[in-house]
This record gives sequence, C-alpha cells and structure tokens, in this order.
Amino acid sequence: MIILESHSVIINDVLTDRFEKPSRADIQFVDYDNVRFHLSTPSSKTQLLLSMGIQCWPDLVKYGAREHLQDEYQDYLLPQDQTEQEYDVSLIIDLEKLPESGEDRLALISRISHLKSTAMSSPFLSAFSEQSTLQANYKEPAGAQQADIVQPENKGELKIVRYREEEAIYIQATNDRVTVIFSTVFKEETDKVFGRVFLQEFVDARKLNALQNAPQVRYSNREPPLEIRHLPGLKNGEDWGYVTFVLSPRHFSNPTQAQANINRIQLFRDYLHYHIKCSKAYMHSRMRHRVAEFLKILNRAKPEVAATEKKTATGRTFRTR
Amino acid sequence: MSRQPPLVIDNGTGYTKMGFAGNSEPSFVFPTVIATHQSASSGSSNASAGSGARAPPPIAGKPSHLASKRGIEDLDFFIGDEAVANSKTYSLHYPIRHGQIENWDHMERFWEQCIFKYLRAEPEDHYVLLTEPPLNPPENRENTAEIMFESFNVQGLYIAVQAVLALAASWTSSKVNERTLTGVVIDSGDGVTHTIPVAEGYVIGSSIKHIPIAGRDITYFVQQLLRDRGETAQIPPEDQLRVAEKIKEDYTYVCQDIVKEFKKYDADPYKYFARFAGEHSVTGRKYDLDVGYERFLAPEIFFNPEIYSSDFLTPLPEVVDTVIQTSPIDVRRGLYKNIVLSGGSTMFKDFGKRLQRDVKAIVDGRIAGSEERSGSHLKSSGVEVNVISHKRQRYAVWYGGSLMASTPEFYNVSHSRVDYEEYGPSLVRRFSVFGSAV
Repeated sequence: MIILESHSVIINDVLTDRFEKPSRADIQFVDYDNVRFHLSTPSSKTQLLLSMGIQCWPDLVKYGAREHLQDEYQDYLLPQDQTEQEYDVSLIIDLEKLPESGEDRLALISRISHLKSTAMSSPFLSAFSEQSTLQANYKEPAGAQQADIVQPENKGELKIVRYREEEAIYIQATNDRVTVIFSTVFKEETDKVFGRVFLQEFVDARKLNALQNAPQVRYSNREPPLEIRHLPGLKNGEDWGYVTFVLSPRHFSNPTQAQANINRIQLFRDYLHYHIKCSKAYMHSRMRHRVAEFLKILNRAKPEVAATEKKTATGRTFRTR
Repeated sequence: MSRQPPLVIDNGTGYTKMGFAGNSEPSFVFPTVIATHQSASSGSSNASAGSGARAPPPIAGKPSHLASKRGIEDLDFFIGDEAVANSKTYSLHYPIRHGQIENWDHMERFWEQCIFKYLRAEPEDHYVLLTEPPLNPPENRENTAEIMFESFNVQGLYIAVQAVLALAASWTSSKVNERTLTGVVIDSGDGVTHTIPVAEGYVIGSSIKHIPIAGRDITYFVQQLLRDRGETAQIPPEDQLRVAEKIKEDYTYVCQDIVKEFKKYDADPYKYFARFAGEHSVTGRKYDLDVGYERFLAPEIFFNPEIYSSDFLTPLPEVVDTVIQTSPIDVRRGLYKNIVLSGGSTMFKDFGKRLQRDVKAIVDGRIAGSEERSGSHLKSSGVEVNVISHKRQRYAVWYGGSLMASTPEFYNVSHSRVDYEEYGPSLVRRFSVFGSAV
C-alpha cells in the first residue's frame, strides 16, 4: 500500500453489512487528523445515525463545508439543530428507503464512507473556484503590468485549516495557481531525518521525465515559506517542516480529477508520517537481518571445546549420561 | 479536546481482533496472515531452519536515477482476508505461532497496515493495548515495546495477558456480582484449548494445562460422523469441511446425559433430526442432508474425549479440577467460584451448565470422601462452583481489553512514552495489573 485510501474502511464494512441485514449498532471510531465517528441506531434498527466530529470544523464551516455536504448528501444530512451532541455533522440513513439496485447501493456506501474527505475538501474547492474567477478577472487589466509581482487584488483569501492541534493547512488562490502549504511537526529526532530525506525525494522526483506534470513541491524546515511568513503565531524551530504544493489549473480543471487530487493532498501529512514509519520498519528488518548474520559469524568464531577425558585419581573415567 | 480512544489489538495465532476501546465488538476480525512478494520457498525454509536462516529483506535494483533508487518492495504486501485472496500470486506467512510472535519483520509490517489501512489512526495520538499469551517471554514483550514506541511513536502501551482480559470480560455477565481478577479461564479457540488459573490478576504459570482438542477437532469430528453415516456422498468433496463447520456452528448443543439423548433421538427422530440445506459452490446444485446425533455428540468430545481421540483421554472437567488442585491452596475457593469461558469453541448451548455440573460432581465427591475418612467428625461447608458464560464470549479477550482501556485507570497503568524514553524497552518487564479498577 503506497497511497493511503481516502475512505473509511469501518464505515464501508459496517454499512455493507447493515444494508444486508439491519441490526443494532453503537460503534465509536476515529479517522486521521482527530476525526471522531459515532455510528449508532438510536431509535430503531433501521435508522442508522452516523455522526462525525472534526477538529477543524469551525474553519471548514467558514469555507462552505455545510453547503458542500448538503450538495453531496442531500436528504441524508441532518439539519444543524438535529446534529448529535458533541459532534459536528450527522447523517441519517433509513435502511427501509435504500436505493433498489445493487450498484446504487454501492455508490451510496462509497459516498458515505468518504464523509471525512468530502468535508475536508470544501476549502480546496472554494480555493479552486476563487482561482478561476481571479483568472477571469485578471485577463482584462493585465496589459503591461509586470507578471512576476502578484498584485494584492490578484490574491485570494488565505484559508487556514487547523486540522490538528498544532498543525495547519494554508491554502491560497492566485490568478494562475493554488498554493497549498502544510505545516507539520516531528515529535522525534529520527523522524525528522527520515522526513527530510523523504521530502527531498519529492523535489528530485520532478526531474524524472514521466513526472514532469506533477505539481511543484517545495520543502523548507525551520523557516515558514514566504507566502505565510506574515502570519502571527507561526512556529519556526528544528521540529517544524513546511511543505508547499503548487497546483496549476490543469490539476483541477476537471471535477473528478480535482476530487482525486484533493483526496490525496488532504491526507498528505498522514501519508508522510505513514511512510516515515514504513521506512523505519524497513530499516529495522534490515537491522535484524544484519544482526542474525553477525551472530552466525560470532558463532563460527567460538573456540571449540576440546573433549578431554576426565579421570579420577584411580584412573576410572566419569560416565556421562 | 477530548482524548482519542486507545487502540485495542488482540493478535491471536489464528485471528487478529482489533478496534477502538469502548466498543462492544472488534471492528475488524481477520486471519493473522501476511502475503508478501517473497518466494514461497524462502518462507518455508524459514520454518525449518529456525529464525537464524531468514531470507534477507528485499532490496531494490540500482538504476542510475536518484529518485528511482529506492524500491517499494517493502510496501508490497497484504494482510488478513486480502492476503488470503491474493495467495495465488503472493506467498502467505503466519507471523504468530502458538500465540507467540515468531517473525518480527512480518509482524511489524502487519501492524503497519493494521493501524494505517484498517483502523486509520495516527498512532502518535493514541494509546495502544496489545495482548500476549500466558508465559510469554519478557524478551518478546521488549521487542513489542521497541516496535510500538520506536517505529510507531505510540503515546503509551499496555501489554495485557489474554486470560486476565477474558476474566475482565466476564464482569458483564449478570451472574457476576463482585468484580474479581481471580478465576480459571477456559480459552478454546481453533487450535488448542488452554486452562489458565489467574489469582489477583497474575497467572499461575505452573498450573496451566493445555488440551489438544478445540474448534478444528470438533469440525473434523462432525465431518467424520457425517461420513460414517454416508451423508457426505451428496456434498462436493471441497465443501465438506465448510459444511461440517456450518453444522457445528448452527446445530450443535451440549446435552446433559448422553444415553438419554440417544434414546430421545431414536424414539422420535423426526422431531430431533435437523435438515441442512446446502448449495454446490460451483454448479449451484442444491442438496440437503440429515443432521443427527452429531448435534450433541460434537461438543461431547470435551467431556468424553475417548469418542474422538485415542491419545488424549482426560475430560475437560477433570483438567479444570487438576488445574485448581495444583494451584496454591488459599486461592482454590476463588478459582472454583469463578470459572470463565472464552473463545469461539465454548459457545455451544449449555456448555457452561454441563461443565459446572461435572466439576461440581468431582468436588462434592472429594468432600464426601474426606468427610467419611474423618469418621464424620468434620463437616465441610461445601465449595461453591460457578461456571460463567456471557454474551461477549466469542471475542472475550478483545472485549475485556476494550473494557479495560476505556477506564481512566488505563492511562495510569500503561507505560507512557516519557517512561519509555527514560528507562528503555526493559520498562515492559514490569508488570502492572489493573488493581483499583476492580
């Protein structure tokens, strides 16, 4: 598994099971980035209530998450005032009013198991649409202006999604691109080293011919990149890393592609940490192998114990049994 | 922000059960198997030559470009049901044998996917509860701690003994009125049945007994009975074991008196014989067969093993009694009072009732004998025998873990990351029990 999947396996499994045969449920589980889920049947077996608590919900609401979810889930989405306590979004699924055909059901399951990624994609989508309006407006006054200085009116609002306690995603649209910046913190010394090597690979990978179309990636640690340097409260220390993705319009011009890119990019932090852990696991298995090899050599080097015959004073030998 | 729930992962020889603390059922139950791209031959030579001759981990080829130099062979694997589905092109490995982890390389990668693909949790945010079999060597615990803290950077770790968790799970039963961690756990899975005495949360290692009869043997026995009666003629050969398993799960029960039960069946076979309807998995041909005496004979092999095996002949109640009699004298009463069932093969109807009756008979017989020998001068007040079965029996160990990990006490007894950095892996040698959680 190289890329983390964007849907929740638990939701997928439970719904597939419950669609076949409704039964009581009361399950609490989590997803990446401090997302909590609660799947329950509060009133009857056929009413499935799925609630999601997401840390950056206040941020997401600002960028139209509620409306986006409404579009996506329509009648399944419960209104704000009926949302389960301590959670931010609730969906209700009536198992008696499911779509008839198997394919539609599968599509519904897959849509619901993408709940988290759908909610998280709203700031990206709004940045994309902002970019297209900026681009449209830009063409008229462009004229003789110097292209490399971005005028303030050509810049969209800087969107900040604080998706974890200390880490955030910054999204900014300009007239010709959308910049996504991740801040991430490494809790351990070794992680930092692995992280740096790994992120350097992203920069190098663009040199390959096959990957020329990939978005530009920049990595800086310690110092935040220029785009967000003016923000207050940014940490710059040894443990901090900033990853910048530059998405150009071709990356999000068609909706399915845009969604796929959003799904991937929003899991970037987890992807990074997953791969750091995998690299460590790989290192460990190499180390274990090495140790086993060395042990073999050491065992070969043991001096052979000469089998001397032990005799008593009278000249009899011990018999060993 | 509220704390993230701990992860509860119970890696057994056959199946891995995992989920989040606070739930009543594991979210995932799948075989503990990993499918890697290594050739099968190197895998099988592992088993024969022991841990020393392990095949080296794969290394990528060396193309000229820097970015393509690192291979991704180490990410190319599947676990659980997906591994079984891909067994044609990949080779399967079972990292756990007899309850203990044998291949750490595979286990580390197994956990990698457990956490990131299935549970979808960032381990840095969670505490983890793992289980271990009784008599697990401390080196294994250290290795586990090393992997959890250093590869996964978990916040905290607790390694619990499976038997103790099974005891904790029995607290849900209505029969239990005091929450104690003293009792005998009868854990019967697919491969082997363990009888484990636990006193105050500590396993009495010297008295543990294993019984080589468990779920798989019952299935074979059912198959054998069907074959003897000639029912298998209709079942396609490749489905026989599956059908036998299905019959075992759906139709069997424990009878209280085997002779009476035979008479009952012979007197009115139409009432007691059940029909099993099956379908050929390839051709779709329908068939059905009679399910007869195996309904009560199958679980009977626990109580009268001579009907199935010729080398293990001690009935389960006798084993339980021996286990308790070899334990320290001051805990024996507690052990008799709290005999707890766990695992899928203890799920037969009335299994607990029969076991309780048989153990009680042995105990009462012994008391009567000693009263007689004392010349009727001493009167015993009797010994209470209680076999506890409850709803969560099938995944009792996991459920106990989920229960334990959802108490606030859990965070005090588990080993935290700070402690690990201070003391190193030897930290987990110290064994702390949920004392005041009781």
